[in-house]
Amino acid sequence: MPVKRILLAEDDKDDRFFFTESLKHRDDFFLMPIAENGADLMEFLEAIHPAEFPDVIILDQNMPRQNGLQTLKLLKGNDTYSHIPLVVYSASTNDMLIRQSLESGALLVVNKPSTLDEYNKMIDDILQVINGN
Amino acid sequence: MSERTQNDTSQMQAQLEQLRQQLYEANETIEAIRTGQIDALVVNDGTGHQLYTLKTADQAYRVFIENMAEGAVTLNKDGVIMYCNSKFARIISCPLSSVIGMAFEEFVPQNNKHLFQQQFISSWSGDSKEEMTLSCKGAEVPVQLSFTALQLNDGAALSVIITDLTAIKKVQEQLEDNNRQLAAMNKALEVSNHDLMQFASVASHDLQEPLRKVDIFSSLLLSKVGNSLEDEARVYIKKITGAIKRMKILITDVLNYSKLSEGGNEFQRIDLNEIAKETLDDFELAIKEKNAVITIGSLPVLDGNKGQIRQVFQNIFSNALKFSKPGQDARISVTSKKVAEKSFASQEAADGKYCIISIKDNGIGFDEKYLPNIFALFERLHTKDKYEGTGIGMAITKKIIEKHNGLINAISSVGNGAEFLILLPVHQPVNVY
Repeated sequence: MPVKRILLAEDDKDDRFFFTESLKHRDDFFLMPIAENGADLMEFLEAIHPAEFPDVIILDQNMPRQNGLQTLKLLKGNDTYSHIPLVVYSASTNDMLIRQSLESGALLVVNKPSTLDEYNKMIDDILQVINGN
Repeated sequence: MSERTQNDTSQMQAQLEQLRQQLYEANETIEAIRTGQIDALVVNDGTGHQLYTLKTADQAYRVFIENMAEGAVTLNKDGVIMYCNSKFARIISCPLSSVIGMAFEEFVPQNNKHLFQQQFISSWSGDSKEEMTLSCKGAEVPVQLSFTALQLNDGAALSVIITDLTAIKKVQEQLEDNNRQLAAMNKALEVSNHDLMQFASVASHDLQEPLRKVDIFSSLLLSKVGNSLEDEARVYIKKITGAIKRMKILITDVLNYSKLSEGGNEFQRIDLNEIAKETLDDFELAIKEKNAVITIGSLPVLDGNKGQIRQVFQNIFSNALKFSKPGQDARISVTSKKVAEKSFASQEAADGKYCIISIKDNGIGFDEKYLPNIFALFERLHTKDKYEGTGIGMAITKKIIEKHNGLINAISSVGNGAEFLILLPVHQPVNVY
């Protein structure tokens, strides 16, 4: 099985650090350059070849300019990207966000991890779901 | 001699009989007068019928009318005041002597004249009541007029009872004013409650984010440099992560509590047996640890919010396990009964509309003087070092029960276990907000 490519959109510097720091020892996936917000992520996707598209995109919900849900809707509404599995993660998920995200085509909605172990667990879960698909 | 004597005797006997009859009738009449069955006598004294009114009754009525709290007037066909009591004169602040002989309409202000005229005409054919104002010398008095047509021997008359509504109107206005104030206060309370809930909700969400970072950085610190730190420094970091853990539970609890305050509740038929058993699964570890035996009797099926009722069982089971006696196996028993009334003192009734669920443990118990503290927000009976907890659990439990239109109580004494009693209606009203 080829190594999965993960694309993350995260505006918070600390959260980007947590993500890379907790997962740096792993080689079962490849973390693409992190986008700083939804608009940044769209630009990045437009610039790369479809063969280089990520296997999963993880979107932070609370981002300036274009939040997770808005980005999710744009991606799912675009034929070029609509096949890419999307995960929304947030420091405080609530019923409304979960419902809206799933209705808009998110694969998963998860709480932002609070420990390094939880980061690993989150990636395990995401990889399991996309491998199962 | 004997014949004459006989005649006299029979005559006297007949006379005596007649007198006895008259005496009997007279006694009857006196009795009727005394008991108020009649108030006038018509006597034929040979010159024609003579009317004798009873002075005593007349006087009584006069005194009665003079002293009653209402004004009373009698009007003739033209609406002229033939009689009035002094109360009426007081109501309209006019001397009694000047009132008699005046047209009643003169006391009716211009804007009520048409209404009064209509009433005056229609009242001759049936009793009626009307609210209006009367005035004399400018000041208007709110009154109720009750009209009754009378057939007196010197012609038809209209009796009018005038009830002064000034005091009632004043009280009414005050009531309305109070109601308006209450409504305004209620509105303000609602707004402030809503703001508070919003605040709790937003604050909890926003507090979670920085807390999460403190948590992760602390664990990063521990994993990076933990080994090279002195024991004391490592304890400090452990203390930080411990405090974070408590803070997280606190935030989640506050969030849950504030969510409970929002809006209405959705009810469905739920089987408490199922919910209680499901809840036990969550406590598998604690049950093993405390060597606990939890027995669940037959519980009812009722209208409720499944998630909330599960939380009630969770909170009470968790408390029962937490406050078990050290060195003694925990015993928790859940039983229920149906009752007729919404009261813990209500008698058991197989088809009752309410049910009481008892959750009894053999733990350390508490002094009942602390009962109000148990259900209050952030109240704790024990220090954190001894027993963990945010002091929100039982407040949430109480709120849930209240949202289910129920009651909650607890019975306990120090060292003798605790029994939590929950009273819930079997059926919830259709629209509960």
